[in-house]
Amino acid sequence: MLLEITAIIRRDKVAPTMRALDAIGLGSMTITTVSGRGLQGGNVMTDIDREVPAEYESVSKITRNLTPASFALVHSLTRPVFWIPKRMLQVVIPSAMKDEVVDLIMSVNRTGWMGDGKVFVSPLEESLRIRTGERGLASI
Amino acid sequence: MKMIRAIVRPEKENDVVLALEAKGFPAMTKTNVFGRGKQKGIKVGPIHYDELPKVMLMIVAKDAEVPVIVEVIRNAAHVGYEGDGKVFVSPVSEAYTIRTGEKTE
Repeated sequence: MLLEITAIIRRDKVAPTMRALDAIGLGSMTITTVSGRGLQGGNVMTDIDREVPAEYESVSKITRNLTPASFALVHSLTRPVFWIPKRMLQVVIPSAMKDEVVDLIMSVNRTGWMGDGKVFVSPLEESLRIRTGERGLASI
Repeated sequence: MKMIRAIVRPEKENDVVLALEAKGFPAMTKTNVFGRGKQKGIKVGPIHYDELPKVMLMIVAKDAEVPVIVEVIRNAAHVGYEGDGKVFVSPVSEAYTIRTGEKTE
């Protein structure tokens, strides 16, 4: 049984997470540059992502309670929805390692501030190593 | 839980996000992607565009919320021409919030 772990994390936590996963024998993963917004709607509070310049102002606040004036303001902006830069890590693991991997990712990435990210666990039907044609557990 | 992946026109990104936010789904992840569909890209005069820029929005939601979200995305992203995009729904067995360690199934 294979599982896919999708973790959306802070940019500065990619290297520590990779090192930690390496230590338990999961060297292979896919990293994607993504943008995210959470329950706060992408509002930048200084602690969400320290790499975002403080002078960036969240414009999604304007859209919370739409009035005709704020609607016009929003639509005159080229980028009214504010996104916070994040990294997405995808790791395929044997299902027996699920708890270990989830706990590890959470402990490495936890700062206690909003914006720490999410971890998703989803079932995976098939995996294939293209070079050798190995399938399933042998391919990861 | 389900993960909804919507591949939409880049110019419709704001409309989709604002529509979802208005319905109470502010949290999502965005990736800029390139893709082509059934029409194998577009041909403008002699030039063939094989990779068209799109925006992929990922939202993880409870099973009951999926039809609502899909409908909101459909209404907001719909233009009526080829290239409007696709919405995919896939299973997610568990979701964790890293800050609190809270688990949702």
